[in-house]
Formats: sequence, C-alpha cells, structure tokens
Amino acid sequence: MSNQNVGAVYDIIIQEVINSVRVDFEETGTEEGVLDDLKKKWQIKLSQMNVATFPWDPKPELPPQQSTSAAASAAAAQAAATPVASYTQSTLSPQVSAQPISLPGHGLPHSNGLPIKQEAGLARTDPSVKQEPGLDGQAGQQNYALHPQQQQHLQNLQQQHQQRPGQVPQQLSPQQQQQQQYRQGLANAMQQQRMQAQGQHIAPQNGLPAAQHDGATAYEGILMQRDANGNPVELSRVEIDNMLHAQILARGKQMEGGGLMLPLKQATRNRGIASKRDADASHVSAHDGGDDELKDEDLDDDAINSDLDDPNDDKDDDDDEDDGGHMMLCMYDKVQRVKNKWKCTLKDGVLTVNGREYVFHKATGEYEW
Amino acid sequence: MAASNNFYDLYRHGSLGVTLTDALDDLIGDERIDPQLAMKVLTQFDRVVAETLQEKVKARLTFKGSLDTYRFCDEVWTFLIRNVTFKMDNNSSTVVADKVKIVSCSAKRNDDK
Repeated sequence: MSNQNVGAVYDIIIQEVINSVRVDFEETGTEEGVLDDLKKKWQIKLSQMNVATFPWDPKPELPPQQSTSAAASAAAAQAAATPVASYTQSTLSPQVSAQPISLPGHGLPHSNGLPIKQEAGLARTDPSVKQEPGLDGQAGQQNYALHPQQQQHLQNLQQQHQQRPGQVPQQLSPQQQQQQQYRQGLANAMQQQRMQAQGQHIAPQNGLPAAQHDGATAYEGILMQRDANGNPVELSRVEIDNMLHAQILARGKQMEGGGLMLPLKQATRNRGIASKRDADASHVSAHDGGDDELKDEDLDDDAINSDLDDPNDDKDDDDDEDDGGHMMLCMYDKVQRVKNKWKCTLKDGVLTVNGREYVFHKATGEYEW
Repeated sequence: MAASNNFYDLYRHGSLGVTLTDALDDLIGDERIDPQLAMKVLTQFDRVVAETLQEKVKARLTFKGSLDTYRFCDEVWTFLIRNVTFKMDNNSSTVVADKVKIVSCSAKRNDDK
C-alpha cells in the first residue's frame, strides 16, 4: 500500500492554509515573516513525524547513506571473504598437487639408476616405518614415493598396502591431518565469519552486541521502527540523532514551561493547576471507598454518576489512543449493521497505521462484532 | 463548535493538525502571534483539509477486521477494530494493524449546511 500521494496532498493543504490566512495575518498587523515561520515550523514538525515523504524534504541524504553503508559492509564482507578464498587456492592446491608431483620426482631416479633390491629392501622397511605413529609428513611422503617404482613384487606390496585400508590412511595421515586440520581451521574461520555475519544481523535487533563492532563494519542503526508494512526497520544514526535532538528540545521547552524561565505568577499558576490535579487524583482514589458518594454528588451537580462516568473509563480511552497512534479520521456516509456484521462507507479520510499515513476518498469497511 | 464554520475540527487530531497546532503554540509562546489568530488558522485548516480530501484525493480503501467497540454519540461514530487488514485499490499490497481507532463524523451534515 503506497502513500506517495500523501506528501503532495499535505503540501497542497499547507499551501492553501498559509495562503488563506495571509489576509488575517495582515489584518492583525503580524509581520509577513511570522507566516513563513509558521509554514516552516509546520513542515519541519510534520517531517519529524515521518509519516510520509514530503516534497519539501531535502532530497533525503538518509537512504543513500544507508545504502552506502550497506554497500560498504557488503564490500567489507566480500573483502573478508576473498582473502580466505585466495588463501585456499594458493595454499591448499600446492599441497594437494605436491603429492602427485613428488611421486614421479622420486620415482624416476630410482627406477633408472638404483637396483631394485635395494628398493625392495627399502620398501620392506616401509610397513614397519609406516606403522609408526610418530612419522612426520616428509618420511611418509618419501615412503609413499618409493612404491610406484617397485615392480611385480613391489606392486603386490603396493596393492597390499592399498588393500590394507588401515595402513594407507595412516601413512598419509600426517599430510592429510595437516590438510584436514587446515580445512577444519578454514571451516572454523568461515563458520566464525558466518557467525559474525549472523551476529551482525542479529545485533541491531537486540541492540547489545552492536557496541562491540565499532570498526569498519559500520552500524548506522540500533533502533527499530515499524515501516508501512509493519516490518521492523533499522533507524539510521542520523534519524536517531534527529529524534534525540527533538526530544531534548521538547524537554527544554518543558523545563521552561515548568517555571524556570517563566514569570513567577505564571509559574505558580501552573503549579496551582498541578496541585489541583493531584488533589483530584487523591479524590479519585478516595472514591473507591464507596462511602464518599454523597460528597461526590455535592461536589459535582451535573454528574449523572453512572458507570459511564467511571474515571477508569477515561483511562481506557487514553489507552486506545496510545496504541501506536493507529487512527482513522474520516466522514461516514453509511453505517449499516445486520446482526453482528457491520458495513460502513466512509469518505475523505486520513489513516495513520504503523507510522505511515494514508489518505483516501472513499473507504468501505466490513467487520464483525 | 464546528457548526460556526460548517467544517469539523476532527482532522486537527491527525498528524497534519497536531503539527500545525504545535507550530502555532510555539509562535504563541514566543508572543509572535495572538491566540485568536491561531484559532483563525485552525478554522481555515478545518476547511482546507476537508475540501482537499474531497477534491484532490481519489484513492479508495477497503478494510476488514473484527469490531471491538462501537459508539455513536452526537452524530459521531467511533469504532475500535482489531486485526485490521487495509487494502488500497491502486495496488494489491495490504497493511495490517492489530488495533485501529476510527473516528468518523457524518458526511451529511457538511452537505446540508
């Protein structure tokens, strides 16, 4: 559901309102600048509510920033991934190819120059050597290299070796182990990386781990907000800054209103209201007693004192309005009910849902009670 | 209250109205405009919003949900609907909300006067 036209519609409304009150401003002798200020303030406040994209918003730096940071982190992830990949190719493949190369390398001189018997002797020692667990990789490699040159007898031996599965793997084990270790290391590294990536994914949601990554993996947001479709979206750092700034400004204003910057008379008047409210509150709590009802009637002659007057009801209503500001303001043409099924035709409405605003000319709603 | 100018002040509770009221409050606080002038601005706002929504907006909306509370008082319907699905007719995507409050004034009263 798009709300692209909202910005344009709101812009029209603002222009129209400003233009139509210009005369009133002139009549009351208010400076022209004030009207412009009003318009600007209105637009800024509206932008801060972030309910739609407005034509007066400066072409937002936020989305590009987000995308560049995303691109940067993607690039960083890639950069982190590629060294590993090249490492595998450069380091692992020579090791793999080293074996086949070393076999003929060792084999050729032996088969050409040296007597086979010696070879056989050497070869015979092989099994005993091979069975030793303390072999280093080179010995294993040499031993293995000898096998191909041995003829008949030795080929048999080789076959025997191959048939004995317990030995060949053992013989190869140092290298394989190395490789396996390396592969495991690699896998671990990759897993760690993946976990990190997942962590990055998770971090913005729970907010805590983000503090650990203050390096190149740039986090713009740790605050989540629901977008138009109700999906959670990260707020960028700039957006958060804006929110904080607005909050601080509002606080400051509250402090001023609370009496710091006000003339004494106004400040005390405010306090008077506040204390009166307190008194009301205490009165309300006293109301629970039940015996005070006569007094209540004395205090407020207009009160009907039905359940509808229950102060708790007002509280409930407040809760309704507080629910994320999901609200539709509109006109109704028709409201019909058949048993528990309601049907209504609404028009000229403004709908606020999930922090986005929509305008409509006509709306039909069907709901069951 | 709204009878004096034929338009409801209903839309003042929307974001557009709230921000305008805020901006006006700021100016009043700084003593740059009087409260009466602010009231005039708001009545103009009531008219402009109603007219603009009527004339400039064409979008249609349908929604479904379960009605939690209904109230009809002084010609104003108030509905509290739960698990609402909204659908604009211009595209098929929907928006879901767990709870929406609808405040609706009679369209007729506007036309009659």
